[in-house]
Amino acid sequence: MSIMEHNGGSVIAMAGKDCVAIASDLRLGAGAMTVAMNFEKIFPVSDRIYLGLTGLATDITTLRDRFRYLVNMFTIKESRTIEPSTFAHLVSSTLYSRRFGPYFTEPVIAGLERTPSGGLKPYIAGADLIGCLNFAEDFIVAGTASDKLFGVAEGLWEPNLGPEDLFETISQTLLNSVDRDAYSGWGAIVYVITPEKVITRTLKGRMD
Amino acid sequence: MATADGGAYSYSLTVFSPSGKLVQIEHALAAVSQGTTSLGIKASNGIVIATEKKSSSILIDDSMLEKVAVICPNIGIVYSGMGPDFRILIAKARKSAQAYWKIYGEYPPTRVLTQEIATVMQEATQSGGVRPYGVSLLVAGYDSNRGPTLYQVDPSGSFWAWKASAIGKNMTNAKTFLEKRYNDDISLEDAIHTALLTLKEGFEGQMTEKTIEIGVVTVPTLAELEEGKIGGVTGRVKPTFRKLTEEEVRDYLAL
Amino acid sequence: MSAFHSTKPGFDFSNANRNAFLEGKGVKMPKATSTGTTIVGCLFKDGIVLGADTRATAGEIVADKNCEKIHYISESIRCCGAGTAADTEFITALISSNIELHALSTGRKPRVVTAMTMLKQRLFQHQGHIGAALVLGGVDATGAHLFTVAPHGSTDKLPYVTMGSGSLAAMAVFESGWRPNLERAEALQLVVAAISAGIFNDLGSGSNVDACVITATETEMLRNYVMPNVRVEKERKYGFRRGTTAWTREKVRDLIVSEEIRPIAVIAGGEEMDTS
Repeated sequence: MSIMEHNGGSVIAMAGKDCVAIASDLRLGAGAMTVAMNFEKIFPVSDRIYLGLTGLATDITTLRDRFRYLVNMFTIKESRTIEPSTFAHLVSSTLYSRRFGPYFTEPVIAGLERTPSGGLKPYIAGADLIGCLNFAEDFIVAGTASDKLFGVAEGLWEPNLGPEDLFETISQTLLNSVDRDAYSGWGAIVYVITPEKVITRTLKGRMD
Repeated sequence: MATADGGAYSYSLTVFSPSGKLVQIEHALAAVSQGTTSLGIKASNGIVIATEKKSSSILIDDSMLEKVAVICPNIGIVYSGMGPDFRILIAKARKSAQAYWKIYGEYPPTRVLTQEIATVMQEATQSGGVRPYGVSLLVAGYDSNRGPTLYQVDPSGSFWAWKASAIGKNMTNAKTFLEKRYNDDISLEDAIHTALLTLKEGFEGQMTEKTIEIGVVTVPTLAELEEGKIGGVTGRVKPTFRKLTEEEVRDYLAL
Repeated sequence: MSAFHSTKPGFDFSNANRNAFLEGKGVKMPKATSTGTTIVGCLFKDGIVLGADTRATAGEIVADKNCEKIHYISESIRCCGAGTAADTEFITALISSNIELHALSTGRKPRVVTAMTMLKQRLFQHQGHIGAALVLGGVDATGAHLFTVAPHGSTDKLPYVTMGSGSLAAMAVFESGWRPNLERAEALQLVVAAISAGIFNDLGSGSNVDACVITATETEMLRNYVMPNVRVEKERKYGFRRGTTAWTREKVRDLIVSEEIRPIAVIAGGEEMDTS
């Protein structure tokens, strides 16, 4: 078994119309044994940026702390909040600095980017474990159910979904994908980020 | 006792004099005020930095001299004081800007880059075996966060943001002149002319495109900014700082 | 940038021991994203045309359907990358950065050989562990130049080159179609044909054709120049009715700070506030 499968778990992010959503399952495993069903993999970076981390749980927590430190230092030193695209590059360069001894995580970033005219534009990005960025306009997936997430999202995602419709699409994509993945599941959590508010919903899921 | 030459307290620059001064820093400022005049003016739609380029002999090939330096596409610096010290700071500033780009995928905001240089200059006032940098700098740049900004950095490592400032020989006169001339809604074109007029005040000899160097920050339009963002991963944003060519300087002088 | 990142140059190996231990336990190490890739370049009358497909793969999965493989080195030097995606991305960024510093300190436009030498030296130093196979092309003061750089640091200088898993398919097109002094349109057409050969015959390559035409006067980046694999529009919508998903808990965080001002009633007989 690959180290990326040891703790299990999956994350997906989707872009909508003036909003983005990011969702994950809640399982923490030790191989085939489930040890927790409240292991969150998505963390707030700023008001408008959320970071999802899949892979080895110890590296997820280490990187979560590391990025919190790096973003806090950025905010203090530059007296401004970090933008999603800037944060994505920070994630990328941090991971690549360990090119020959990587953290076993695949990050997913979802946020709203400030445009030069002052508006907010959906921004989603993903990276592999050594920091190769993937900018997509539709969705980003990661984790043990990524193959299934790719397939389902490819079928269900459509452009210009509003916050409530995006919530249904991302939730159904995630739930149906993790149901076919032995290493993901046991409930899920969804974040929908809009210019006005962030909606967090905990979903009912299969417990097997 | 603190005497005019610094006395016993000038041997080690890291020792305060009883009056609370670090005399080596005072001496460094004296070196700056002997340097040729440089100035910067912030306009409503950009910034101009300009300097006098003077060579001690007509036999010197002054095409090699560079006093206004590009640091990265959005930031430029001009100095007064010791040329060799400036060169070192420029090399460090450029490296720092590239290091920032490699981490964040964008060039540093003017204030961050200024702070970085100021830190380097401050370290030279507190470390053993070194002397302070004999230069004052005017850092002009544009960033999306604060727009166009102009900073002055001194040998002590202190820095401030200015609307207009002058350093080097005649700085007091130049500043008085700028205070009279400056207003908040001056355009970049007017600022360039004001810069040239200010330099003219204390200028010895002929002001030509060979003896004047000018750098400008232009504030990009909204359309240009949007285009830069859409430019994609490999596309680069249009530079906001550039040096004026000799032809352009000649045209400004002719007016 | 000392406050943000380690000031030590080079890579951080602090996880290497742990990872080697895990590998020794028989745990499989994960694979990084690679660009199976067809990348090409060819010389023509006035300069260079570079081409690339836009597929990134992770094993048998298409990780990115429209990635960018033509990287910026300088205004008139560009570099196509094949192999480990992160390596091609970061080595071209590094060399681009060093080239910019070099250009600033010399006051001259950078040369293609300079970029090529920087790339091969870094790749050779890392003994093939940086998995980047590159096609480097551009125009400088000495003319138009086209190179390939292999992951171990060896280089070739040829009038037409291909790299990546689709290189054989693309080379077949070049071998039969390339001749000296091609016109711009002919060269661009040939590059499109070569990349298309990779897209349709090599499983590691796919999606669209990116091209870049570099001449002494200008560089034209033709992103998604040909899109032969546009996804057909879905006949029906598969949106879910609102309320489909059952949820147990909801938390809403308001991002708009609202302020309400309530005037305080003047206390009867009280002294008037001093507002001077």
